[in-house]
Amino acid sequence: MLVAFLLPLVSLWAIDLTLGGSINAGADSLPRFANALLTAYTLGSLILFGNLFFYADSRQRPLAPLFGMLAAASIGLLTSFMLLDQTDLLMEDNGSIRAQMLYNAVHMFVSAGAILLAFGLALGLTFATITAQKARKTTFEEE
Amino acid sequence: MIQAALWFWLPVSLIPLGVWLSLSAKADGQRNLGRFLAMAGLAGVVLTPWTVPSSPSSEAGHLLGFIVGPAALLVAGVYLISFSGNVPVGRLPKSDRRLGVMAFMIGFVWFVGMHWWNLTPSMDGDVNRYWLVFWPTFLLLLTCLCSGSALSLRVIGDQRTTESNVLWFASGFVFSLIVLAMMVDGSVVNAEAFRYHLWLAGADLLGTAVGLAIAILVFGGVVFLHERSLAEPDSVEPPSKKEFEHVAAIVASNIGGGESE
Repeated sequence: MLVAFLLPLVSLWAIDLTLGGSINAGADSLPRFANALLTAYTLGSLILFGNLFFYADSRQRPLAPLFGMLAAASIGLLTSFMLLDQTDLLMEDNGSIRAQMLYNAVHMFVSAGAILLAFGLALGLTFATITAQKARKTTFEEE
Repeated sequence: MIQAALWFWLPVSLIPLGVWLSLSAKADGQRNLGRFLAMAGLAGVVLTPWTVPSSPSSEAGHLLGFIVGPAALLVAGVYLISFSGNVPVGRLPKSDRRLGVMAFMIGFVWFVGMHWWNLTPSMDGDVNRYWLVFWPTFLLLLTCLCSGSALSLRVIGDQRTTESNVLWFASGFVFSLIVLAMMVDGSVVNAEAFRYHLWLAGADLLGTAVGLAIAILVFGGVVFLHERSLAEPDSVEPPSKKEFEHVAAIVASNIGGGESE
């Protein structure tokens, strides 16, 4: 199933190579990948930090996991800041570290919107194709 | 900066807060307040090209304003098609199926028109840079998911060949659209730029998947470490003979029916 999921991606790669390949995309994909990874990790950790409040409700409100998850989210934020501050590796077309970090967050919202819409449509289409068929009759053998 | 915080980031933060309230609140009033906050946040974000035109983030609000219409039509269309079919509960009238197909087609043509026709989200003559993020990401993931769903239906499902073929067709159709965009220039975005942004979208999707997976692993690790550090719960005494007899009496009074068979 993973192969079926990746099949269009590999085919598009092959088509792109036959068309001459996107020369700059390879070099620019690395900062995009790293920025997406760090932003998704940080925002995901913050969402899961919020989720821990529900977990705490059923566990007499312990503080240790809350601090742990907050520290994990902070590590993502600090790593992004340090990598942007120390090297140009993660910088895209933005003038400052703050601009790049805000761009990363807004970029993630837009990507998340595209991802959610694609997931919603794929699930909806699957469900629609199943419900479009005639109802099946289940026959039970007489005992 | 303060303008952007007030007119962009505050409405953005209202959306998850509103959704959280509407999903978790028990009272109707709080749920309605949550819905109102989410809608107000959404409206605030869409209005950012007018409220904070100087902020680069307002391009996201501009994009949202452009895509909310076709996206709503697509989602509503799929919902109407699904629930006007053979569902055991909440079935919609058959006529809603035609309405759903029409809404879905209009939504999709609208999106396609945003690439090849003059509906492309543009600000001051330049294409909205977030459109170049949204469109390739959406198409790339949709074709991959439809392909994955098609094979899942065939492998896991029982006699689901027809449904699987429909999904292969959907995946192939979206795939053809991507190939077309890679070869034929759009109204504002040319084929070369689309190919470039398609690979950035691929890197984006991979990075997002890896980042989220690490966050979930860390979350699991934090919970595991906390649970492991807890002391063993106090053991309780085993049931006495009298308690066993009491339980046996209750069980015996609830078992029966042998005579009627």
